[in-house]
Formats: sequence, structure tokens, C-alpha cells
Amino acid sequence: MNGGKVTLGRTAGLYIGAAVLRLALFTVFPGLPDLLTGRVEISTPVTSFKRLQEGLFLYNHNVSPYDGGVYHQAPLFLPLFSLLPSSSSFPIFTYLLYIVVDLLSANALQKIADSGEAVSSALFTSPRREKRWSGLVIAAVYLFNPFTIATCLGRSTSVFTTCAVLHAIAKAISGAPISAMIALSFASYLSMYPLLLLPPLLLLSYDRQPALHTQKSLLAFTLKHISVVTGVLSTLFSMSYLITGSWEFLPSTYGVQLTLSDLTPNVGLWWYFFVEMFDSFRSFFLAVFWLHLSSYVGGLCVRIRTQPLVVLTLLLGIFAIFKPYPSIADMSLFLAMVPLYRHVFPLMRYTFVVAAVVMYATFLGPAFYHLWIYAGSGNANFFYAITLVWGLGLSLMVCDLTFAVLRDEWEVERPEMVGKEIRQI
Amino acid sequence: MPRLLSGAFRLKNDPRILKLPPYLSLLCILVGVVWLLLLPLDNYSRRTYISENALLPGQVHTYFGGSDQNVFRAYKHEINSLADGNATNLAVNDRLAAIFAGIGLKTARQPYSYTTSRAVQGENIYAILPAPRGDATEAIVLVAAWRNAGDETNRNGVALLLTLARYFRRWSLWSKDIIFLVTPDSSSGPQAWVDAYHDAHRGSVGSLPVKSGALQGALAIDFAREGRFKSVHVAYDGVNGQLPNLDLINSVVSIAGGQMGMGVAIQEMWEHPDGYRDRLDTMLRGMLKQGLGMASGPHSAFIPYHVDAVTLQPFGEGWQDEMAMGRVIEGTFRSLNNLLEKLHQSFFFYLLMATERFVSIGTYLPSAMLVAVNFTIMAIALWVKSGQPEGEVVPGLEGQKGEKARLAVERHLFLPLGVVTVAQALGVVPLWVFNHTPASLQTTVFVVFLVLNTALPHVLSAVLTRTYNPTTQQYQLITSFSLLLLGMFLSSLATLNFSLALIVGLLSSPLSFVRPARHLAWSVPLALISPPAVLALTTALWKNGGLAAVGDVLREAAFGWDVMGMYTPVVVWCVWWPAWLVGNLVVLGRPGRGKAKVA
Repeated sequence: MNGGKVTLGRTAGLYIGAAVLRLALFTVFPGLPDLLTGRVEISTPVTSFKRLQEGLFLYNHNVSPYDGGVYHQAPLFLPLFSLLPSSSSFPIFTYLLYIVVDLLSANALQKIADSGEAVSSALFTSPRREKRWSGLVIAAVYLFNPFTIATCLGRSTSVFTTCAVLHAIAKAISGAPISAMIALSFASYLSMYPLLLLPPLLLLSYDRQPALHTQKSLLAFTLKHISVVTGVLSTLFSMSYLITGSWEFLPSTYGVQLTLSDLTPNVGLWWYFFVEMFDSFRSFFLAVFWLHLSSYVGGLCVRIRTQPLVVLTLLLGIFAIFKPYPSIADMSLFLAMVPLYRHVFPLMRYTFVVAAVVMYATFLGPAFYHLWIYAGSGNANFFYAITLVWGLGLSLMVCDLTFAVLRDEWEVERPEMVGKEIRQI
Repeated sequence: MPRLLSGAFRLKNDPRILKLPPYLSLLCILVGVVWLLLLPLDNYSRRTYISENALLPGQVHTYFGGSDQNVFRAYKHEINSLADGNATNLAVNDRLAAIFAGIGLKTARQPYSYTTSRAVQGENIYAILPAPRGDATEAIVLVAAWRNAGDETNRNGVALLLTLARYFRRWSLWSKDIIFLVTPDSSSGPQAWVDAYHDAHRGSVGSLPVKSGALQGALAIDFAREGRFKSVHVAYDGVNGQLPNLDLINSVVSIAGGQMGMGVAIQEMWEHPDGYRDRLDTMLRGMLKQGLGMASGPHSAFIPYHVDAVTLQPFGEGWQDEMAMGRVIEGTFRSLNNLLEKLHQSFFFYLLMATERFVSIGTYLPSAMLVAVNFTIMAIALWVKSGQPEGEVVPGLEGQKGEKARLAVERHLFLPLGVVTVAQALGVVPLWVFNHTPASLQTTVFVVFLVLNTALPHVLSAVLTRTYNPTTQQYQLITSFSLLLLGMFLSSLATLNFSLALIVGLLSSPLSFVRPARHLAWSVPLALISPPAVLALTTALWKNGGLAAVGDVLREAAFGWDVMGMYTPVVVWCVWWPAWLVGNLVVLGRPGRGKAKVA
């Protein structure tokens, strides 16, 4: 009992520490939030706080927020943020909201970690399960990750999606599939791409159903929960329709993600490609890019059926690379999940290379962007080259994690191969 | 890619490979230095050429002269009476405003003040000549500071500016507005004006009441000397080592050297017979200026705003008069007037080694990158090494089949990460101290810091060994992380300010080879390459001013950091100094068995 109290005290200390750090950064450097909000690495057209302000202004003046083609975010943000006092006169309320959302995400993450789902799922138990970090450590890694802090200070609206995704996973693990589906619907409503997480999340909730009312058939389970998602999403869409008075928000939010009509640079791989694209090929390559992004879902769900949480983690990593508008917020979500696999870290081969590549890209990216945009002495190729390096670092990390997890599984099947070097043919 | 990597990583078990990295990284440093020394050779540098065909330098006849000489004398008389009477900034501006109004130009003033380590205040005055053939969307600037960079009164410069204003007004061929700007000094005045022109000024700097279009280029006149001169010196270094487009320098060289036949000098090389030594000397002077990143004239403030600018300074004893100087400026303005878009064709990253010889970034960047790469190589090598068992062969375990036992050692990352983080964070302290010390105390504070800085590694090392007693592996990891950060910062910096990255890289190159040494003596050479020691030694050797000169440098740096956004102090205190500190900690370290776990 005493131990529980200590953990509780530590958890509170961690959350207070993280909140104080963020508040201190907000107040000691008052120029910092706006500086970060303007960075393309943090704010994409679909998550930018500046664009949210623009949409909010139009909304408060009874003009459709989507007039002018600047605001591409979900309509339900507008009533939420118009309830808060204006962020220009009383920024503290906005800061507090973002801090609370970060803490909620960390809380969900802590629950995921403490459940031990990462080391021992319903169908697979890792032989290395003893070696794992507690939820507290994993929440701390998330909360003090510079990418997370920068995203929070930059007030990117992707923190809401992050929070919803983490809660969906936490609920699925704790045996509350309906709540998980509701959380996932919110995430999908906010950013669309989390909808692709539905299959692994269904598998995860199916595996972790409470013993009391277990549903045997996966098909029936799937149908039931897909209908939940559809229901929640339809409700959200109808509410959006009521708020904005038209269906205009659909093409302006999801349409922009599907057709990439805003080509503002970001850390992803799409913008440069589609800047260069001849118009006649545009729709074809859009289809190819989206097909590529979604093709991972099926394959991973089948291959790593025994560990749905791994599938979710890997997919989050893949989305952080191949999404139409990725930012470092997606990176921070992926990095939040990676420490859950502490037990397979010894099997990973490129940790140092990956860390070095990601750090190099983190520093060179802003330098090259400066050369391109401000100094005028570089050009778009400079920045794009660095986004390629960033993508390379991330994909190496995803590959390496996949390798480690598969090797862990393989050593259970082939105990005689433990500790032997393997060669890729 | 993963296959390539896994192939490379299998090699890591080969003991011969592990011996290689120190030599490899030494080789990188040597090749980097030799590379730099090769650049002045004909085979590696190129002749300059005009890239932007619209410039057409030296293709127009210049008409400045004749009766304009009388006008010049009259303005010179006015300026002399103001300068001899020690008129205040405001009195000078009153008179200049009357003269500009007499010429028929719209005039405006801008008061500004900066309260940094030294307080500066003044008032800029400028006049705008609207383009007869333009629509006020573009402008070029002619600047003359009342006090030049050497703190002399720029008598001929300001008089020439007024004469040219009157002369330019008579022509109908200008397609860009021309702004005539007179600032009280060479650093803060132009900075305040350019900041305000782009609405990026702070509260203590006044806004500009009148503006024109986007600035396309700027030319500053620094003409304080009296009598006839031989040729023109072109100063082109901007703040933070940014350079103007090479086409602008080429145009000036082509007009002054080719058309007017007066010759051009750069980097204070008053004689330049174009031998290897002269080229190398010019290049190294340029790199040093670029590395320090300080403003070198009124033009420096313009360059960060992507406005290409140079300062022209007449020098030497010859037979050229003020009118010839005016014709050079007229010719350059006629060329700039031809521009259809901003200068972009030619190079922004270059090293000039003679007025007509340069190397571009592709040729010189590898030398700085090689120096930066040496740190990364050592970082990777130490990481790999730290993962291997200390003993040669581990007995028993998996030793069958004659295979060498390979037992990956668990790395204890927490302490190394903590040490490196703390060292990086400590860098903020000197940065803050030196940027907030009052000007009069800079020298004293520096001496105190120098003493503390020498003692600091010993104290920290004692604390570290007492409380944590790090193992060899942990020392390897500390070095590895610190070198990784250093290599990363320097290679990022090399793209922004090549020279600074190279200088810092070379000065900290011994840090690649540090390891715990039993002898205290090893910390002596390291103490000599600490940032404050290097600062003290170099200023003592070059400026002959001893510690007072250090104070001057620090005051300039604090002013540059606060007013001009010069980031050299950040690089010194937050990149170089932490790396040095960690290197020193490692050298002083005594690897032990690690801290016993406290329950």
C-alpha cells in the first residue's frame, strides 16, 4: 500500500514538474510560443494554431471559417476555442488547456505502459518481459521529450489528436472497447488519418475484452464496433453541420488532406513531390501515395496479429513519415510509444545511428530552412534534402523496431537460435 | 539501406577496425586543413565573372564631373563648418534636412536608442528620390555614416552623398527609387534604419515616417581621408558572416578597376601581387572576419535582410579625386538600376582570394565538413567501443566452436547523458554574464571568469568521481555524446557560417582524442585551448592591447549580440565551451568501478 502511495506521489510530482516546465517556458519566454507556432516543422496547414486563430476570427464574426481557404481544421475546435478568453489578451487559458491535454496524454500512456500489453499480449508473451520501464518512466520520457514540449508550446492542434489516439489505445487495453471506439472516432474526426488505426485497434480490443461479456466471433465484434465508430462520426459531422451551417467543412478539412491542395512545406515527403508534379499526373500520384500509406495497415495486422499494440506503434511511426502533412507532433507520438518496447531494445541494431540521424536532421532542418526562406542564399532543395534525411532516420527506427519485435517472436519459436547473429538474405 | 548497415555493423566485431577511428579522424582533420591550403591554387579557385547579364557593369558613360565639382566644394564647405564646430547629431541633421529640401527631396528622420552594455542613441536622416520611371516598388540605398567605422568624420563621404543626390535628381533614367541615408555612426544607425524599414525594430527605435519599395541593393561611402587617393577598398562582410551576392562585388570591381582604372582592394590587402601567399592571406583574413561575424561597416546591417550591400573606402596615395569616386558610385547605381529582379544569379557563399578570384561553397565546404566529421567518427567509434567487454575474451559463455565470444555489454546511459546535458546547460551562464555585464566591468569579469574557468573542470571532476565514480565505459559514453553534439552543431553551422565552424572545429579538434589520463599535466594543454584562454591569447598577440583589448572585443560582442543579432557568442559559449568542459572532465577523470547501487 505504501509503495502505491509513493508511486502516486511521484506521478503527481512528474505531472506537476511537466506542467511547471511548460508554464515557465510560456511565461519566461513570451515570444517563444509565437516563434514555434510559425515553424513549419511544428505547424502544418491542418494543425496550425495561427490558422485556427484566423478561423476563429471568421467564426466569431459570423463568416464561414472556411472562406479564404486558410483554415483546414475540424469545425468543433471553433466553439471550444471561442469559449476560452481570446488567446491574444489572456493567453494563459490557452496555455493551460494545452498543458492539460499533454498531461491527459501522458496519463493514458502511463495506463498503457502499466498494463504490460507491450510485453505480454493475449496471444504472445515475450521472454524478455522482465526488463521494462514503469509507466512513470514512459510518461516522463513523453512529457520531457523536446518534440512534445515544442509541439505544446507551438500550440499545434495535433496534441488533441495525440491525446485521443492514446486514450483510444488505453481504453482498448483496459477492456472498454466502446470507449476506445469513441476516442478513435474523435481522433479521426480531428485529423482523419487515425481512422487507419481502426483495424489494429479492433484486434486489440477484441483480444482484451473483459471476461464477463466476451464476444466470441471477431466478425460480429468488428461489425458492432464499426457501427459505433460510424455512429459517433455521423453525430460529430451533424454537429459540425449545425455549427457551420453547411457541408463546406468536409472538402476544406478532409478534402485538403486527400488532395494536398495546400503545398506549404513541412517535414514530410509529399509537398515537394506535388510542387513538381504536372497537373495531369496529380490525381494518379495522389491515389498512389494514399494507397501506399494505407497498404501497411493490412499487412502489419496479419503479420503481427499476436501483438496488436506493436502494429499500432509501427503504424504511428509510418504515419509520421508518410502522412500528407506530418510534423514533429507525429514524431512525438511515435516516440511516446517506442519506450514501451524497452524489452526488445537490446535486439535493435541501429539505435545510435537513428539517434544521430534524427538529431542531425533536427538541427540542419531549421538551418536550411533559414537559408532558403530568410537568407535567400539557399533554395527549396536544401530543406527537402533534410526532410528526406529525417524520413530516413524515422524509417530506420521503424524498421529496426519491427526487426527487434519479430526477432523476439522468432526466438520463442526457435529457442536454439537465441543470441545467434542472423543474416538478412 | 538496412542491409548495407547490417553489413557495416558486422564489421564492428573486428578488433582491427576498432583501432582505426582515431587515425581516421586525425586524417580527416589533416585533409581538411590541407584542402584549405590548396584552395588559392589556380586549379582549385576560379576567376570571377558576372552572372546577371542585366547588370552590364561599366557599359554606360558616366557624366558626374565638371560643374559638379563646384557643387561638391560647396557641400564640403558646409560639412567642414559643421564638423569643425563639433555640431551635435541633431544640428547636423537640421542642416542636412535643409540641404535635402533645397535639392527638392522628401526628407525624414528617425531617432533611435539602444541600451545594451553601452548605451547608444542618435538620429538618422534620409531622403528619397522618387524614380521618374518607376512606381516606388523598388529602391536602392546610398549610405554615408557621419562617423565612419574608424570614428573619423566622414567629411568627403557625406559631401559626396549630397552632391550625388543633387546630380541624380537631374536624371530621368532611374527606374528605382534612390534613398540617401546619413547615419550618425557606422553600426547602430544603419541597423536601426534597416530594422525599421522592414518593421522589425524594437520599441526604442523610431518607425520610419516615409518609406519606399523593396530594397534591391545598398552602397556605403566611407571617405574620411583628405587629398587624392589611389584605389578603392571594398568591404563586404556582413553580420554573422553573411555575404552579399558576388555579382555586386564583381560589378564594383569591374567598374572601379576596369572602367575607371583605379584598382580595387579587398580585406585590407593594400598590396596584392596575386601570388600564392597573397591569395592565402586574403582568404584567411576574410575567413577570420566571417568567423567573428562582426559588422565591418554600414553595409553590414543590410545583408541579413537579403539586401546586397558593400562599403567603398578610398585608400593610398594616387591621383584619383572625389569626382572619380562619384563616378564609381554613379556607374554602380546605373548597373543596379538595370536589375529586373533581386541579385540571385551569382554566389552567396564564396571565399575571395583576390578581387578577381574566388572559390564557391562546393569547393571549400568539404574542409569544414571533414573537421566536423572527425568528431562524429570518434563519437561512433566510442559508442561501439563502450558496448564491448573490457576484457579480451569472456571465458565460458558461448565460447564453443572456437568462435570469439561476443557479449554485448549493457550501456549505462543515464550518467553520461546527465553530464553532457548539465555541461550544455552551463553554457548559458557565461553567455548571460558577458551579455549583461556593464561595459566598464567587462575586463574585470573576464579575468575572474578566466580564473574560475581554469579551476572549474578540476572541481567538477572531483565532484563527479566522488559521487558517481564513473566507469571507463561511462567516460567513453560521455566523450561520445559530447563529440556527437559538437560534430552535429558544427556541421549545421558550416552551412550558415563556414569560417566560424572551421575555426571552432580546428580549435576543439584535440577534444577528439581525449581519454582519462592519470597525469594532471595533460590538463594544461587543454586549459590553453579553452575559449576564454584562446580569446585572451589571440587578442594579446594581435591587438597588442593586453586585457583592455579583450574588454573591447567582449563589448563589441555584447553589442553585436544585442543589437545586430550576432550569434558568435552563442556558438562560443553553448557549443564550443561545453565540449571543452566535457573534454577536460574526461581527461581529469579516474575511471572506477561505478557507483554501488544505493537501495
